[in-house]
Amino acid sequence: MPLLRLILARLVQALPVLLGVSLVTFVLMAASPGDPVRLLVGDRATPEIIAVIRERYGLDEPILTRYLVYLKNLLQGDMGASLRYRVPVTELIASHYPVTLFLVLYTIVLSLPPVVALAVVSARNQGGLADQAIRLLGVLGLAVPVFWLALLLSRFFGVTLKWFPVSGFGDTPLEHLHHLFLPALSTAIWVVPILVRNLRAALLDEMGRDYVTTGLSKGLGRRAVFRAHVFPNSLLPTVNLFGIIVAYLLGGSVIVESVYAVPGMGKLMVESILARDYYVVQGATLVFALTTILVMLATDLIAARLDPRVSA
Amino acid sequence: MRRAPALLVAGIAIVAAWGLVALAAPFLATHDPIAINFEALLQPPGDANYFGTDNTGRDVFSRVVYGTRYALYIGLLGVLAPMAIGMTIGLVAGYFGGWVDALAMRLVDVAVPFPFFVLVLAIVAVLGPGIENYFIALALVGWIGYARLARAEALVLRQSEFVLAARTMGFSHPYILARHVLPNALSPVVVYMMTDITLVILFGAALGFLGMGAPPPTPEWGIMIAEGSFYISTAWWIAFFPGLAMVMIGVGFALIGDGLARWLRLRA
Amino acid sequence: MERLQLPAAITAAVLLASAATAQDIVRIASPNPVTTLDPIRSAAAGNIEAFGQLYARLLRRDETGALQPALAESWAVSDDGLTYTFELRAAKFSDGSPLTAEDVAFSLNRVAKDPESAYPAAYAALSEVVAVDADTVELRLEYPAGPMLDYMEIFNAGIVSKADVDARGADAFAASPLSSGPFMVQEWRPNDRLILAANPNYWREGYPLVAGAELIEVSDSNARASMILAGEVEAVRAVPYAQVAEVDAADDVAVPLEPSTVIYVVLPNHTKPPFDDADVRRAAAMALDRQAIAKAISLGMAKAANSTLPEALAFYAADLEGQPYDPAAARAILEEKGLVGTEIVMLAPPDSAQLMTLLKAQWDAVGFMTKAEPVDTGLWWDRLVGGDYNITASWWYNETMDPDLAARWALCGSCGNNSYYTNYNNPRVDELTEAALRELDPEKRGAMYREIQEITVSEVSQVPLWYAPFTNAYSSRIEGLRLTPALQWTLEETRFTK
Repeated sequence: MPLLRLILARLVQALPVLLGVSLVTFVLMAASPGDPVRLLVGDRATPEIIAVIRERYGLDEPILTRYLVYLKNLLQGDMGASLRYRVPVTELIASHYPVTLFLVLYTIVLSLPPVVALAVVSARNQGGLADQAIRLLGVLGLAVPVFWLALLLSRFFGVTLKWFPVSGFGDTPLEHLHHLFLPALSTAIWVVPILVRNLRAALLDEMGRDYVTTGLSKGLGRRAVFRAHVFPNSLLPTVNLFGIIVAYLLGGSVIVESVYAVPGMGKLMVESILARDYYVVQGATLVFALTTILVMLATDLIAARLDPRVSA
Repeated sequence: MRRAPALLVAGIAIVAAWGLVALAAPFLATHDPIAINFEALLQPPGDANYFGTDNTGRDVFSRVVYGTRYALYIGLLGVLAPMAIGMTIGLVAGYFGGWVDALAMRLVDVAVPFPFFVLVLAIVAVLGPGIENYFIALALVGWIGYARLARAEALVLRQSEFVLAARTMGFSHPYILARHVLPNALSPVVVYMMTDITLVILFGAALGFLGMGAPPPTPEWGIMIAEGSFYISTAWWIAFFPGLAMVMIGVGFALIGDGLARWLRLRA
Repeated sequence: MERLQLPAAITAAVLLASAATAQDIVRIASPNPVTTLDPIRSAAAGNIEAFGQLYARLLRRDETGALQPALAESWAVSDDGLTYTFELRAAKFSDGSPLTAEDVAFSLNRVAKDPESAYPAAYAALSEVVAVDADTVELRLEYPAGPMLDYMEIFNAGIVSKADVDARGADAFAASPLSSGPFMVQEWRPNDRLILAANPNYWREGYPLVAGAELIEVSDSNARASMILAGEVEAVRAVPYAQVAEVDAADDVAVPLEPSTVIYVVLPNHTKPPFDDADVRRAAAMALDRQAIAKAISLGMAKAANSTLPEALAFYAADLEGQPYDPAAARAILEEKGLVGTEIVMLAPPDSAQLMTLLKAQWDAVGFMTKAEPVDTGLWWDRLVGGDYNITASWWYNETMDPDLAARWALCGSCGNNSYYTNYNNPRVDELTEAALRELDPEKRGAMYREIQEITVSEVSQVPLWYAPFTNAYSSRIEGLRLTPALQWTLEETRFTK
């Protein structure tokens, strides 16, 4: 089965990539000044106590030794333990990853309807008033600092109107939707313009093709041609863009999660970098990378379904 | 169809206006942008301070004006290295193909799955906070987009008639790359660069927000917004004006990018 | 349809359940993370806040700050001050197992002697702790220690279960310990929150008054302010001064300024020119208008500092004159030394932009060339301990009202922390610090701490800036909650009003 082979091949290709990612992260973290133990034990611990704990955690071993030990454990499915919390990294990721995944999916779900609507309106009224207005709004959405907007949204919708919670994740799926609405909205505001721009351009490209003119001249309705041919064919470049957007969303979660106190991967990542919690940063980066690779693979598969010309 | 360039012109005008503000900052500013004043803390906008004063008595108007310099410095310099690196890798890979291309693409494969902002944070943690280290982080991760675009163009151009002709005339590869491939691959890259500038300025501000930006008392908009965010309901002007300035300059570059994209597509 | 009903029913049930319990749970948002539940492993603020809820101590403090019996029903001190005998009450751990003298001896020996104990300074005088019988514990000291009873109340003197630590090992214990305090661990989600449930076996009958508590970690100050304003938590820690008025003005929220032992200081590097010279340090101090700085930063809520010790401590010298604000004299010193235009590297830790701006402007005005270098906390510690800086600013607090630990930490050069790592080292101060600990007569101790303050202020070991009150916000839904100067929440005495 060619599809299965394609997937397998891509996954095998991903291995050296993940290895590279882990090496780069390890070197970066090992090279960063700052002692995780100092941040752990508090200001008043003496240098002697810190030395004892560093030794116990194996932090004084040469970096190559540490990396090889890490790799060996990794191959056995052990991502090590957090230096800060002394709990397994897998446990931390298992509790933070679903939150961010939920947030990313939520953002996408929230973004898609306006993206399609705005892009179609924009493309059908090319150069018209609606098109220009959508462009300007998009440009504005791109240019507003996310952290600034997020703060305003949380104060207005959360504190003044009390429509949405300003923090946390909640305990049930319904609560998740409620709690993550403002974070997802804050992110969607810059994602929507990028996707609109892309989809609009693709729509215009398709609309200019010969078959559209032919179809129209054969008496097919404009609407029918658009629905049946133009729109489906235009989705391809947008789907391709998706993989990259998801990677951006994962990274961008750092800011919204901090503004809205959401216990997700972005928060875990920032706090772990600041605390020099090496193995957590390692593990989280690997999970980020793996997610991106899988999403890219998925978008490629969808693209192949949409457009038979794209071959593996 | 003619209106697309109008917005492009508007974008260029906005950016040019900010460029002028940056150049004329010493003449426009009414105060020393880093001079503190204990007698004039948190003053609202008025005749003495057009945009009010901040929590150390500094004049917000003068800081916004001088901050233009940092914003443009961050935006323009921040994309320079990624563009240079990305274009070189992309053009060389696309033009030569074969193992060179395969190697470059493996490099891209490793770089793509890294969450961009997280890597920037990690690099800044390694090198220490500050704008210069932000540039280094950008140079390490920001080149991917440029490389992909340049490679796609080069893949097409290597088969083009004028490149083939130049080859038969015995010109060297570097010469052909520089004289024929590069200029023709430039337009999509420039379009991308405009959007990239907006993002680089915004990310730079976000770094300031996370406390990893320029050192105090630099009049940098991101830090001004971060510092002013505590006063959002008591002294709104501290964060509002730099925020507005940042949106405006971002809109300027985004309009150029958007306008160029449409204009070039129309011509092609 | 049937397939749809099940999740809806579950959702409704969970919503109902959470609605029923939310009223009885006190939620507190704090920027300080909880990173371990083992009281000996950390002296970082977030952990200190949690330890107090999980572990009872021999003694406790009442609302006035006076020591009261806790696990110890009574105690006696020998005349030479070398033996402390505590009689324990009948108490249990959260699983119902008895808390015995063995557990007390184990816990105190552990915090005092374990090589991984993060902060054993308070127990330096201890030679050993012995369980005399099931409910009698004896502290044997090598030399008398004035504040020893105070130390039986601080955060890391909490009593842990010897059986639990022995059976599961320290690592497992640190993540889900048996507790002896008012609350026990229901669930710990590292990097997010610590969920506490009332400990049914707590020795103090009838306490705690609430069913549970959540200590939520929220690093962003604006997010914390939004949370209390939106009613999502009952209390938040560390409201920025700039937002105190706004938060306090909200209905149902109050920000009482609570007394603390927090002091903000400028830390000069005593091992590097130019601040190895006391005159230059004096110039740096005289360049600063501390009144104006304190007012600008705290909007009038904090008091300018005059002494190197926190105002709230015993033996604080209120009448001591700090260095005067005299920029002309400061400049004269620099000119005389030929130091005008000297570049000084100032480490700017996170969230200090306003202070750094004020310091740089005032130092530059008298002739320094201050170069601010932003650093994150990890980098700050590296460079501070490594001596790779000229000057920086920070804050510290003391867990007791007795100045012994404060002097050891911030002013003593030979007590393990090198005067907050500034390497200020005056043998007379070191000698006084040790002598004051051993002295039992309060009057004589007072004279010694007075001398320590006089010396360190005149030599500018550090430049005291201001004394900061706690700015915690509390919802009117609860009463009885406050943060003691020792960073302990009075959660066990907290109740809901509506």
